[in-house]
Amino acid sequence: MKDMQGIDPDWAWRPFEPTLEQPWDRFLAAHLYRRAGFGAEHHELESAVARTPAEVIDELISRNTESNDFRATGDALAESVVSGGDPKQLSAAWVYRLLFTPNQLLEKMTLFWHGHFATGADKVQDARMMWNQNQFLREHALGDFRELTQKISQDPAMLIYLDSTSNRKSHPNENFARELMELFCLGEGNYSERDVLELARCFTGWEIKNKRFRKNPYQHDGENKHILGQSGQFDGEDGVRVVLEQPQLEQFLARKWYRYFISDEPSPSAALLQPLADTFRQHNLQIAPTLKMLFKSNIFFSQHAIGRKIKSPAELIVGTLRCLQATTNTQVVAAGLQEIGQGLFFPPNVKGWDGGRAWINSSTLLGRANLFANIFENGATRFGGQSLSEYLKSNGARDVDEAIAYFEKCLLAMPLAATTRAELRQSVDSQPGDEEVKLRYLLRAFTSLPQCQLG
Amino acid sequence: MHSTRRRFLRSSIGGAAAIGIGASVPACFSHAAEARATSGERILVVVQMSGGNDGLNTVVPYADGAYLAARPKLGLAPSAVLKCDDDVGFHPTLRGLHDLFEAGRLAVVRAVGYDQPNRSHFESMDIWHTCRRKEEPRSDGWIGRFLDTQRVEAGSDVPALHLGREQQPFAVVSKSVRVPTVKEISEFQLQGKDRQSLRTLLNNSLPATASDSSDSSDLLNFLQSSTTSALAASQRVTEATQSYRSDVQYPETELAKKLRVVAQLIDAGLTTRVYYVQLDGFDTHSLQAATHEVLLREWSDAVSALVRDLDAHGHGQRVCVMTFSEFGRRVAENVSGGTDHGAAGPMFLCGGSVRPGFVGQLPSLTALQDGDLKHEFDFRQVYASVLESWLGTNPTPVLGGSYQPLPLFT
Repeated sequence: MKDMQGIDPDWAWRPFEPTLEQPWDRFLAAHLYRRAGFGAEHHELESAVARTPAEVIDELISRNTESNDFRATGDALAESVVSGGDPKQLSAAWVYRLLFTPNQLLEKMTLFWHGHFATGADKVQDARMMWNQNQFLREHALGDFRELTQKISQDPAMLIYLDSTSNRKSHPNENFARELMELFCLGEGNYSERDVLELARCFTGWEIKNKRFRKNPYQHDGENKHILGQSGQFDGEDGVRVVLEQPQLEQFLARKWYRYFISDEPSPSAALLQPLADTFRQHNLQIAPTLKMLFKSNIFFSQHAIGRKIKSPAELIVGTLRCLQATTNTQVVAAGLQEIGQGLFFPPNVKGWDGGRAWINSSTLLGRANLFANIFENGATRFGGQSLSEYLKSNGARDVDEAIAYFEKCLLAMPLAATTRAELRQSVDSQPGDEEVKLRYLLRAFTSLPQCQLG
Repeated sequence: MHSTRRRFLRSSIGGAAAIGIGASVPACFSHAAEARATSGERILVVVQMSGGNDGLNTVVPYADGAYLAARPKLGLAPSAVLKCDDDVGFHPTLRGLHDLFEAGRLAVVRAVGYDQPNRSHFESMDIWHTCRRKEEPRSDGWIGRFLDTQRVEAGSDVPALHLGREQQPFAVVSKSVRVPTVKEISEFQLQGKDRQSLRTLLNNSLPATASDSSDSSDLLNFLQSSTTSALAASQRVTEATQSYRSDVQYPETELAKKLRVVAQLIDAGLTTRVYYVQLDGFDTHSLQAATHEVLLREWSDAVSALVRDLDAHGHGQRVCVMTFSEFGRRVAENVSGGTDHGAAGPMFLCGGSVRPGFVGQLPSLTALQDGDLKHEFDFRQVYASVLESWLGTNPTPVLGGSYQPLPLFT
């Protein structure tokens, strides 16, 4: 692995200014949309290139609430399945938002928080609670981390997931207290076992009754607690506050965002992360200004970031569909994401998805290729309301070579080798069927390439 | 087995399998390969109980008064347990396991753990998988490092296989070999009308050697080698399972389905040395009794079916099934009818050459550390025995230190 110590933190976080060698072009704009969202189609990229990167990023960040119209449609879809009670159906309702939201960063961050404050429907087994949590995460996705953490600590789905539905004075439940420090705020090693026991006492009396959060004063331990160097007759809110005051918090979150938005590996040094962490703390744990700094930075637009992530299943599938303005059966996509390791509302455990190389094994690689076959062989999958061949023609790609070039621009972080292009062309030529069948095969083959798994 | 004989066998099996289990090879060759592979090398099947299995309600110290005192609700009465001796018995659902015990096919190592136990699931599981603490660099797992010591013939079978829907366990991550994850046999092949063209295209477009040195070449090389591995392994596994027959009835559980696939692959003569499966759900903080019972039954019934099936196919003597969990649970039950994260717990090994019975002292239920059982054995002592006496390799470099092996094999 490459040594990260060679990167100057000052340079890394200074705003990126386009240069002659690295102009603000479709290539960089596509990188921005792939990371800050899932991907942008042709016209969106053209319009981005006509503005400055800062303007585009400001717009992505400022769109932090859904429009009433989009929200109404998305909510109606979700409500229609919540009443059915099956969380798997709920997953398809989220896929609809991922595919069609005009607020890409908002949705990308909602997915981030779902993995961060991971809660699994397999254990919660209540579609309504899972949906409420999802709406809550969306509402605060670009907001205040303090509020997010205080409220998730009282979220029914979360507390059921972490066995904290009852929490008695005589036997505090350690599970939530531990995960709050280990996975949500500080990271393993930044607290002691004693802190876990003491913090757990703060949450005594917090319980879920009739699917709602409430505080049971008779079960609350009002005695003195000693957590992370502070003492007092703390209740749960105090406990969360003490944890949020720890200076390890901003490094912990900065590291997660670096990995989510910039690169899988190598792991950045604490020194490199410090300016981003400082910004998070200086802005009082506000998420939006921290992400703004991240996306506008030199390092985000550098070779340390471009092509240095393995696409998550959602990034790969949703991204490909968005880049080609495709519409398809959202239930097939939802079930497919589960098959290849990223079932929405079904994270693998309380740690969420590890990401990076952990996305990839023989089974998920074949699964990725098979899911694309399933989607693209289905005639109901349309591209900008048209067949794939019509869609490509209307965007100026009239033959196989031009189609390959078009897919490269939309879907790849780096160009293909000439030999790979030739292999693709030859494979399409030898394929039986009409033009539409051949082009759909090309798209399936293209998206199955190892190169296309890089984001 | 003498080491030169073993080396000879290994290379001849590798060669036979490489040509014998191919698509276009006449049947007589595949049968020859099967016959030779059947008498081949020893195999390890690892069963991971994820979430922290409650060892005390698995191997129950029913005669110890402190047991029922610590567990007024969860404790199992002496009349309920399947007795092994005057001190301990198995949870009443472990009928299959108890049969193995009585038949002299099961070893139980009591109180296995490690110094300064970590009670985080992930951290403790990583410690079991890598044999390293988090302060130390850890890029691979103990099985992965074992695989690194083995010579892998190009085009031969994958040296280890993870079966399941979960993320790949850290234990099988290796520097030199990519271990595939298989969910179901039917899913493990390319689908679609155009799959033959795609297979050809992907194989042709992959570079023969790791090439350019651009910044992201590490990840790209990784994706390319993973693609090669996926295509090769899927073909082999699909072909290997086509001829399997068995009279043993496996239960209709996820674990049993996976172990049945393991039996199929072993019987098909794959040279794979290690199979890895997981059973999740042991994190029983509340209402433990019902959940734990279901999980233990699933485990015991599936493992005993596998052993019977392997016996029936003549592989019983060369397969060892090892079960572990990342920690045991606290001795005292909690008020939610469950137990919280603990420390030491039992490990189980069964199969042909296991030296049967209990290993170690009865753990004290009163001399505790932070409410948890103290460990008598480091888990690496069990690994060391398996590596040295079963898999036939020097455990020290694999474990990153010297650990006293236990007498687990005859």
